[in-house]
Amino acid sequence: MNNKRILFILVFFVSTLLLSGCWSKKELTDLAIVAALGIDKNEQGRYVGTMQIINPGNVTSGMQGGGGSQGPPISIVTGSGDSIVELSRSTSRKLSRRLYYAHTNLIVISEEIAKEESISTILDPLERDAQFRSTAIIVIAQGSKASDIVKVLTAIDKIPSNKVIKTLKITEKIWGENIAVSIQDAIKMIVSPGKELAVSGFRVNGDVDKGITMENTQQTEPASLLFAGSLGIFKNGKLIQWVDGETARGSVFLLDKLNASAIGVEWEGKDEAISYELIRQKTKVSAKMEKGKPRVSIEVQAEGNIGETKVPIDLNNPHLLLKLEKEIEKEIKKEITMAIKIAQKSKSDIFGFGEALHRTNPKEWGKMASKWNDVYFPEVKTDIVVDAFIRRTGLRNNPHQVNQ
Amino acid sequence: MEKANISLYQLFVLILLFELGSAILVPLASDAKQDAWLAILFGMAGGLFLFWVHYRLFLYYPELVPPQYMQKLLGKIAGTLLAFCYIILFMYSAARVLRDFGEMLLTFAYLETPLFIVNALLMLVIIYAVSKGIEVVARTGELFFLFIYFLAITGFILILFSGLIDVNNLKPILERGILPVVRVFYTQTLYFPFGEIIVFSMIFPYIANKKKAKKVGLFAIGLSGINLAITMAINIGVLGVDLTARSQFPLLSTIQGIQVAEFLERLDVFFMISTVICIFFKVSIYFYAAVASTAVIFKIKEPSRLTYPMGMVILFMSVTIASSYAEHLKEGLEFVTRYVHPFFLILIPTLLLGIAFLKNRKKKSPQ
Repeated sequence: MNNKRILFILVFFVSTLLLSGCWSKKELTDLAIVAALGIDKNEQGRYVGTMQIINPGNVTSGMQGGGGSQGPPISIVTGSGDSIVELSRSTSRKLSRRLYYAHTNLIVISEEIAKEESISTILDPLERDAQFRSTAIIVIAQGSKASDIVKVLTAIDKIPSNKVIKTLKITEKIWGENIAVSIQDAIKMIVSPGKELAVSGFRVNGDVDKGITMENTQQTEPASLLFAGSLGIFKNGKLIQWVDGETARGSVFLLDKLNASAIGVEWEGKDEAISYELIRQKTKVSAKMEKGKPRVSIEVQAEGNIGETKVPIDLNNPHLLLKLEKEIEKEIKKEITMAIKIAQKSKSDIFGFGEALHRTNPKEWGKMASKWNDVYFPEVKTDIVVDAFIRRTGLRNNPHQVNQ
Repeated sequence: MEKANISLYQLFVLILLFELGSAILVPLASDAKQDAWLAILFGMAGGLFLFWVHYRLFLYYPELVPPQYMQKLLGKIAGTLLAFCYIILFMYSAARVLRDFGEMLLTFAYLETPLFIVNALLMLVIIYAVSKGIEVVARTGELFFLFIYFLAITGFILILFSGLIDVNNLKPILERGILPVVRVFYTQTLYFPFGEIIVFSMIFPYIANKKKAKKVGLFAIGLSGINLAITMAINIGVLGVDLTARSQFPLLSTIQGIQVAEFLERLDVFFMISTVICIFFKVSIYFYAAVASTAVIFKIKEPSRLTYPMGMVILFMSVTIASSYAEHLKEGLEFVTRYVHPFFLILIPTLLLGIAFLKNRKKKSPQ
């Protein structure tokens, strides 16, 4: 009986604790959902954060009963401070709600900050905070302020941060000059002595002042458009160089992030005569020590179809296809070589050759690790072997010029 | 001693949930870098040996729990003192695990809730369960075990399909030789979580099928060791060595990385549910061992009457043992596993077995 009485008293007291409500409840109407965070620096050297806050009422599409009003789907709030946490909290003076970061999936860092100081200072609060997702994507605002990238409205994807992320992910997959790097990936690369960071830039063109109005989304050709820029090469967390075009694609090849792309091939003296549509590829990087020097071998396996021909060529002839494959291999090899040359010139091992060496030769790596980027990496010899296959030629075999 | 009956399956479930307990939460053996999984497997081997030691002791005295045979082996006074030390160790361990639980919730989800409230909520449930007896805890374990494994397997498949695991993170194996791994083995994994198997010596007398208990126990420890090693290997595969070591809760970070088909993501709840369940059982079993030992030493007929006062002590201890999470971890790794565990978890049981062997040598040998 005594037991029951104690239990009763306990339950009685504890239930008063529980019934009074939830402890640290936050109503949905008290939260400002941050979709993207842009970080700049002002003249006084303080951080300026630009938050893209979702305006829930205006995101729902008009198709479903048309509850949404005509206002913009996002709202911008800025705050400044000596640290990220400080600037985030200081926005409360301008905002009627609490900032909620659990859905933040885009971080924009200004080019200025990326060039002047290591971006790891910015990444620390982001990985430490429990709300923040380490899967959020990082981009560098190339040629503009980070706030511009965050502010501009976009047409097809209503929430601009989604547009930026989807653009990056899709172009990484089907074109391959950019990569989507998450906070977690970035930190891993900064920490590792055998691999440096490479992050995509994002650009804005046109008039940003027009881009922040709803009119921007109400015209067929937006006055201001967000688009993926170059690939930024980092060293010790600082941005040191932008690479574009084929060099950038060569880099993405080497990072084994490329899925598909279109590669122009020279044929019988004519440049870009045939377009090779890559559908899948696999790149393997391995390293070994040879006469006391690191040597890296790169094996690429590429598979794809013929997408376009500008010259009369007999595509029924397997021998010709084999010859064509050789040309494709040459082209891919050229792009990869260009990428390696640029990286070696800027003394930043963005491809993880050092890590590959670490895996195979841990002892030698131990001696080289501290000087890898500056001394050893620029001197690394590489052997590139590309194996390209043409599987199909589309709905037609020969181009119509052949049978004329 | 209460009247309880524990089936072999229940023993298996309890050992598994107990071993996973808080070990799955923390960066276990992260000092061994990419070879953490190896250090865990070494620890498991040590755990198998310790289980054998406890089981042999139990075979000498199949009707008695440790405090009783300690009194028989060492004499009344010394035996009681030693048993009393074990009560304190069990209570302290229960408080530590409870603190782990509270810290996990507070770091990750309930940033503004006081630690006491979070711990109290779990402790009240545990007090209730243990006051109903070990059999009730065991049956609850049966229910939750399947659920945990379902979560674990789903989580594993999702991590696999997210393409997060990079096997290269686990290479090179044994980069600095076997010594660092062995060091982690004898400074950490041998005691936490595998040495803690000692609490099960309090449960042995209740097992229905005593002959098969050894096989089942060894199998459960082996399986939990393999599970922990796989978990740690996946953590390192996904996060890399540096991030795993810097994470307070690496498994949480790993699960947060899951992104399958754009909609299967943010599965942190998987992690929360499984750790809450595992920690519930770990604290319950420690707490039960403390209560049962106390009842035996002080000859209290109804052990369940002890649960409320002792539970409150554990609750308050869990809040006051450290002022910060860092201090809590430091205390656990630098003090307890270094000075307390080797003595109480390894040395004394082995010594007791030696004495039991010598004392019983002249009598007929046990089965």
